[in-house]
Amino acid sequence: MAPLAPGFATLGNLQTLLAYLLPLLVAAVGLTLVLVIGGMDLSVTSTIALASVVGGKVMSAEDGWLAGSPWAVPVGVLGMLATGAVLGAMNGVAVAVCRIPAFIATLTSMMFLSGLAIWITLSRKIGGLPPSFLVLGQNLWMAAAIAGVAAGVAHLALSRTVYGRWLYAVGQNARAAWVSGVPVVWVTFGTYVASGVFAALSAVLFTAVLETGNPEMARDNLLDVIGAVVIGGTSLFGGKGSVAGTFFGVVFLALVDNSLNLLGLTYYTILMVKGGVILGAALVDSARNRFAGGAG
Amino acid sequence: MNPILRFTKISKSFFGVKVLREVSFDVPMGRTVGIVGENGAGKSTLMNILGGNLAPDTGAMAFEGRPYAPSAPGDAARAGIGFVHQELNLFPNLSIAENLFLNRFPRRSRWWPVVDRRRMLDGARELLKEVRLPHSPDTPVERLSAGERQLVEVAKALGSNARLIILDEPTTSLTAFEAARLFDIMARLRQRDIALLYISHNLGDVRRLCDEIVILRDGAVVGQGTPDALAVERLIALMVGREIAGLYPPRPGRPGEQVILEVSGVSQPGVLRSAHFELRAGEILGVSGLMGAGRSELARILFGLDPCAAGTVRLDGRSLSGLSPRERIALGLAFLTEDRRGDGLSTEGTIADNLTSVVLPRLVRGPLGWLDARRSREGVKRLREAVGLTPTAADAQAVKTLSGGNQQKVVLAKWLWNEPKVFILDEPTRGIDVGAKYEIYRLIGELAARGAGVLVISSEVEELIGICDRILVMRRGEIRDCVERGEFDRERILKSALHGEAVP
Amino acid sequence: MSRPGSTRWRWEWVLNQAPILLFAVVVVGFGLLSPAFLRPVNAMNILIQTSSTGILAVGMTFVLLTAGVDLSVGSIMFVAAAVGGKLAVSGFPVAGVIAVMAGIGIVYGSVNALFITRFAVLAFVVTLATRYFGRGLGLRITETRAMNLPEEFYALGATKIAGLPLPVLIFGMVAILAHVVLTRTPFGRHVYAVGADADAARKAGIRTKGVLFAVYGICGVSAAMAAVVALSQAPAVSPGFGNNREFLAIAAAVLGGTSLFGGRGAVLPGTVLGAVLIQTIENGLTILNVNSYLYPLITSGVIFLAVLLDATRCRILARVGRRRIYVETPPEDGPGDP
Repeated sequence: MAPLAPGFATLGNLQTLLAYLLPLLVAAVGLTLVLVIGGMDLSVTSTIALASVVGGKVMSAEDGWLAGSPWAVPVGVLGMLATGAVLGAMNGVAVAVCRIPAFIATLTSMMFLSGLAIWITLSRKIGGLPPSFLVLGQNLWMAAAIAGVAAGVAHLALSRTVYGRWLYAVGQNARAAWVSGVPVVWVTFGTYVASGVFAALSAVLFTAVLETGNPEMARDNLLDVIGAVVIGGTSLFGGKGSVAGTFFGVVFLALVDNSLNLLGLTYYTILMVKGGVILGAALVDSARNRFAGGAG
Repeated sequence: MNPILRFTKISKSFFGVKVLREVSFDVPMGRTVGIVGENGAGKSTLMNILGGNLAPDTGAMAFEGRPYAPSAPGDAARAGIGFVHQELNLFPNLSIAENLFLNRFPRRSRWWPVVDRRRMLDGARELLKEVRLPHSPDTPVERLSAGERQLVEVAKALGSNARLIILDEPTTSLTAFEAARLFDIMARLRQRDIALLYISHNLGDVRRLCDEIVILRDGAVVGQGTPDALAVERLIALMVGREIAGLYPPRPGRPGEQVILEVSGVSQPGVLRSAHFELRAGEILGVSGLMGAGRSELARILFGLDPCAAGTVRLDGRSLSGLSPRERIALGLAFLTEDRRGDGLSTEGTIADNLTSVVLPRLVRGPLGWLDARRSREGVKRLREAVGLTPTAADAQAVKTLSGGNQQKVVLAKWLWNEPKVFILDEPTRGIDVGAKYEIYRLIGELAARGAGVLVISSEVEELIGICDRILVMRRGEIRDCVERGEFDRERILKSALHGEAVP
Repeated sequence: MSRPGSTRWRWEWVLNQAPILLFAVVVVGFGLLSPAFLRPVNAMNILIQTSSTGILAVGMTFVLLTAGVDLSVGSIMFVAAAVGGKLAVSGFPVAGVIAVMAGIGIVYGSVNALFITRFAVLAFVVTLATRYFGRGLGLRITETRAMNLPEEFYALGATKIAGLPLPVLIFGMVAILAHVVLTRTPFGRHVYAVGADADAARKAGIRTKGVLFAVYGICGVSAAMAAVVALSQAPAVSPGFGNNREFLAIAAAVLGGTSLFGGRGAVLPGTVLGAVLIQTIENGLTILNVNSYLYPLITSGVIFLAVLLDATRCRILARVGRRRIYVETPPEDGPGDP
């Protein structure tokens, strides 16, 4: 269906596709790590929004903290990433140390962070970002390279290093992992920090693409991110999943979205088809599991 | 006498593998029939067929003279067959009464679907009296001990007016006292002409309790007879399919002199009172005692899983106070837990995942945490050979697909890579079959021969007598007795476990 | 577990009552800051404002009790409101409109249930998909325009029976009915059993799929009722009607002590208290004239505090409840006792 849409194979459309796909991919990769340990991070998109606001506050030429300074862009980007790390660390403490169920812990941080982002900006978008930052949004090859490297690092870490194995071990059976000497608390904490950093990196790309620091950024994309990860075969119960799967999930969702747009369908039709497609993918997956699982 | 249940040539295959081959036998009215067999002999498949969870490929069953072909789990209960499962099917968040009446709540009236609580509670009280459980029927099941839950299961079977009750490994998690109470109730059920099917690995219990024993091997009935005609050795030979020289392998070495683990004054209020003992290199030290005597708690404290208020533990002279399990592992401690599925294994994980889980940090090459896949593969291969894990399973196969014995071998093996100095084994042979038990005893002996100190906790006194150099006896959180090899005496150990005084 | 009167016992009691105590703290706090807050009129206002989300949360509780989740309730509200709005605008009688909306809720819930039970797809994924679908469908029906409803709907919200506003009355009836169903009927107890262990429930002869089907149906019809009540207070269907309400409903249920892992929780006081607590905070902040940007920050802060207390309680209870092997010969429970 997708490639048949007129105008699909044009450069302009590729730009549109990537502009949606890349930030989604980076955020989804971070969420994959969290789902692998059997957790959940509903605050991904509000972390994106808050990081975007922080970036805008630092870099904006209008009233930014470092307006006009040559340090604006590096400090701004680092500030965004640091914001993600701090927010992730807060989730990590709530889940790993205070033992609050991840779903509800990150649900409250979702409400809190999006409220905070809106309060800081009084729901105004922050414009006037430096051109050297916006390059990232115009030259999507650069953005693609960054997202690709981020996803690649996550992929290798998950599949080839001791940390990755620890994530799966914690997701499969946290108690058994602890008895086997896996530092479960640190692994859990670190995973939420990583998720926060990935969300912030996603915010960097998003902010460059949209050219504003936006307190409502990605607000409606939370379930897109989760949906993409789950379509990619990562289990909501932990212990199963891969970055490669998530990549395909994101590409799938982005292609559906993009080609429905190109077909000139209305927004509501797109939503309906998207719902149907997610359900279809899940049905295929469930049928496959049942076939492979059998009676054993 | 007419049989209450008759199996006629029941066969079942999974993916072309025969798990049951023309199984035929009768359960006479009002009698107790024992079923024994190694894990994988087909006992659980047969019970699943009886319970309506699986359908047989061929063959038929008759219950009370009528053909019986259940198609859903509810059918068995309706027919008059009750199950008391090894993994209890009770709901901890509901009360005892609700569990007893879950699928047949009394209603106020036909048109008013509200539970008639009075009738329910009265009925529950009646049933609890039958099994001599002195609790209020409103008690949530989560407050009950494992043994009490088992009795609730029996009451549930009675409540559904069962004429045949299947008890599947009912004693694995019971204290000796609770088991005795269960046996007592079984005897009373027999007097009421209720037939029982008793499945257990404890051959002594089976011989004591049953009128008739059926032996399954590789999905077929290989023997049947009265307990008098089937001595334990004979039963084992039939189950395993060959004569076994002895239940316990010969010990290759002798304990050394050097103390490797020194436990002094370890206490935790309400759990453990001032435990003192030493474990020497090459020694196998048994810990006996009833369920709930504090044996597992001692093990968990030694390994750093539970808090400890006072006392010191020294490994090779080094104090372990305040160290996490992870740090203790690094110093050479290993721990095989009694809760295999909860603490011991990732059942969803593969064999390779589980075998490498303890030593992952050692398989790292370079500073980035990169795993050395070749070394990991070789290590997995070596460990599999060391414990004699079934060769038919691939490294990438999920552990949940293995039999209990093989799962236990995986748990044991994952610690061997580290060459532990002290290995704590909590109920290493629980719920596994005779052949696998022998293998595990052999491995324990080998560990000791290589100079490790081994602490074995077990509820089976015979097993400890068979493999240990020395046995500690615990009662109510205290070490009450210490028996050396040569003075081993089953009676003395049991007496100390039941009412021993503290060792001065 | 421990003796009454001991320090530990007191702490356990405090932690067990955490939601109610927190509620009391919030009420007393606002009361001290503003006397207007404590007026009975305001209490009634809070209940009126709670009613729509409260009904939604009650339905959500059924689903959460089975260890499921329904992310589509906001979309159910929207679709029901969109269709109901169209009918109302075209002159359909109010009672008929409500009946049609309830029917839509049941059908929508049944579709969710069908995929969850018959095709064994995770509830999270199914309801995520139908959430998109429903939003799209609703936008299509309303042609992505806001729609104003006739006066009758507003009259409905202002109706009082025996001194109680209709929305509160509906909320109360839904809560009591749900409470009775969950605690007193065979079906209700089966919901708890399925949530604790679906496989064991099936083996115990419970019609697990039937139970699951019913809870999603109940959740659907509750969402539709929540939409009716919301419309009676503000008779307009905007394109964002009901959006993201599912998270508020989940938060209310969890605040009231319902576990996301199934089998534990209650509607009364439980979920109702949770929903009222959230609304009380918002109401108090309005009365105090707090900068409205701060609402979500404070609300989520209080919710976080509540779940933190709950998690602490679980940890302490687990520690206290760890098996005792012998009874300590009791020295007096000192103040230092943990």
